[in-house]
Amino acid sequence: MIANLIVGGLAAGCLYAMVAIAIVIVLNITDIANFAQGEMAMLTTFFAYWLLDDLGLPWWQAVAIAAVFGLVQGVIVQQVIIRPLIGSPVLSAIIATLGLNVVLNSVAGLIWGHQTYTFPSPFAFSAPFHVGGVAVPVTSVVNIAVGLAIILGMTLFLRATWTGMGMRAASQNQTVARLMGVSITKSSAIAWGLGGLVGGIAGILVAPAVFLDTNLMGALLIKAFAGGVLGGLNSLIGVFLGCLALGVAENLTSAYLSPSFGEAITFLVIIAVLIVRPEGVFGHVKVRKA
Amino acid sequence: MTNATDIAGLPGRRSSHGSELVLAGLGVALACVAPFWLNGYGLYLLTLTAIFAIVALGLNLLTGYAGQISLCHAALFGVGAYATALLTSKAGWPYLVSLPVGALLTTAIGAAVAVPALRLKNLYLAIATLGFGVVLQKTIFEWRSLTGGGGGLSLAPPTIAGHELGATGLYYLALAFLVLGLWGAWNLSRGRTGRALRLIKESEIAAASLGIHIARYKVTAFAVSAFYTAIAGGLFAYLVRYINPESFNVGLSIGFLSMIVIGGLGTIGGSIVGALFYVVVPELLRGIKDAPGLVFGVVLVMVMVFMPQGLWGMARRFLGRR
Repeated sequence: MIANLIVGGLAAGCLYAMVAIAIVIVLNITDIANFAQGEMAMLTTFFAYWLLDDLGLPWWQAVAIAAVFGLVQGVIVQQVIIRPLIGSPVLSAIIATLGLNVVLNSVAGLIWGHQTYTFPSPFAFSAPFHVGGVAVPVTSVVNIAVGLAIILGMTLFLRATWTGMGMRAASQNQTVARLMGVSITKSSAIAWGLGGLVGGIAGILVAPAVFLDTNLMGALLIKAFAGGVLGGLNSLIGVFLGCLALGVAENLTSAYLSPSFGEAITFLVIIAVLIVRPEGVFGHVKVRKA
Repeated sequence: MTNATDIAGLPGRRSSHGSELVLAGLGVALACVAPFWLNGYGLYLLTLTAIFAIVALGLNLLTGYAGQISLCHAALFGVGAYATALLTSKAGWPYLVSLPVGALLTTAIGAAVAVPALRLKNLYLAIATLGFGVVLQKTIFEWRSLTGGGGGLSLAPPTIAGHELGATGLYYLALAFLVLGLWGAWNLSRGRTGRALRLIKESEIAAASLGIHIARYKVTAFAVSAFYTAIAGGLFAYLVRYINPESFNVGLSIGFLSMIVIGGLGTIGGSIVGALFYVVVPELLRGIKDAPGLVFGVVLVMVMVFMPQGLWGMARRFLGRR
C-alpha cells in the first residue's frame, strides 16, 4: 500500500518536475517566471492530439512533431512578447505571462471547445512491472524515465556545451557574456524554446492519465511552481527533488491525513519553506552582477 | 523611472487638484443619476463595476504603489463575502454592521499574509500568495458546517433598518463605499504613506536608508487592500445572492490584477477605468464564446508591452498632463 503510494507519488512528481524544469530554464536564463508555461504545454498537447486524431499520424511521429511545435512556440513567445519587455520591471513580465496564460486558454477553447478528449498512450494497456512485490504501472516507469532523461540532458546541455555555458554566463553577467561573444537574445530564445519543448513533453505524458481539456495544465503548473520553490528554483536537481518530494508528500497526506486537504497542506508546507528558507531546500542565493 | 519624477513633482502638482476634484465630482454625479436610465441588467453591471472598482483601488495600493504582487485577492474577496453573509444570515446581525466587521476579520487575515511577504519578492511572493489563496478557498470549501461547502450559500435580500435593500439601494450603497474608498485611497496615496510605498517599489534599500519602516508599510498596504477587497466581497455576496467557493479562484485574482494593469498601475483613476473595462468589454463580446478571455488576455499583454502605464496613463499623456 505505502510502496504503491510512493511509486505513484514519484511518477506524479516527475510530471511536476518536467513542467518545473521548463519554468526554471526560462527563469534562470531570463529572470522571467513564465506563468503561461502550463497553457503553452496544453496547446502543444492539443496540437499532438490533432495530429493523432485528425491527421491519423502514428503516436511517435505525432509526438516528435508536437515537440518541435513546442520548441517553435517557445521561441515565438519569446520574440513577440518577452523581447520587448527586456529592461522593464520583473512584475511586468510576470503579468504579461499571466495574460498570455488567459490568451492561450481561450485560443484552445475557441478551436477545440471545452469538452474532454481521450488522449491515447501506447503504454496504457501494458502489463505492470513487478519490483520487489510492488506492481509499478508502465506509465509511471515512463514518466520517471523521461523525467530523469530530461534532467540529465538539460544538465549536460548547460554544463558541457558551448551554447549551454554561454547561456549560464549570460544569466550571471550579461555585459561580460556579450563581450565573450554570447548573444543575449539568442540565449533567451533558446531557453524559451527548450521550456516550450520540455513543457510540451510533460503535457503529452500527463494527458493520457487525465482527460485532455483546456484545463489540463492549470493544477500542474501550480504544483510545478510549488515543487520548484520547495527544492530551490535556481538548482535543476533541487527542482527535480523538490517536485518528487511534493508528489510523494501529496499522495501520502491524501491517503493518511486528509484526502480533501492534501493540496492545502502541501501549500502550507511550501509557505513554511518560503518563510524559513526563501531560496529553497537545495537552492543557493544567486549572486548577480549587473 | 517615472515614479521618481512623480515624487519629485508632487508639490508642483497641488494646483491641478482642482480639475481632478471637478472630474471626480462629475463622475459621482453621473453615477448617481445613472439608475434612472438603466434597466435591471444594466444596473447590475454598474453595481458590479463599482464593487470591482473598490477591489481595484485596494489592490492598486498594494501592487501599483507598493509593487507587491498578490494572487490571493480573489480568496480575500471570498472570505469577505462569506464573513459578511454568515454574520448577516446565520448570526442575524444587521447588514451594515456585518459588512465592516466581516471586512475587519478579512483584514486580519490579509495582515497575516503580509508576514511571509516581508521576506519575499516578485515570483516568490506570487507563489506564496497563490498558496494562501488556495488554502483559504479550500478552507471555505471544506468547512461545510459553516459555509455550506461546494453547494454554495443562497442569501436573502439584505435589510437596512427594516427596509429591504433592492437593486437600486444596493447600487447606491456600493457607490457610497466606492466614494469613501476613493477618498481614502486619494488621501493615502498623496500623503506620507503613498510616498513611502512608491519608494519601496522603486528601491527597498533606498527606502530603508531614508528611515522608512519597510515592514510596517508593507503590512499596512496588505491590510488596507484586504479591507477594500473584503468590503467589496460583502457587497458582491448580496449583489449575486448566491456565493460558491469555486468562484473565488486564482483566475479571479488574475482578473483583479488585469484590472489595475489595464487601467493603470499606481493610479487611482486607473482602478476605476480598469474595473469598467473588466465588466463592460466581456459584455460587448458575450455572443462569442471564449472571446472575452481572449480579448482580455491580448489586451493585458499589449498593455504590458506597449503602454505600461495603462489606459489611464495613456489618457493623461494625451491630455498633456503627466
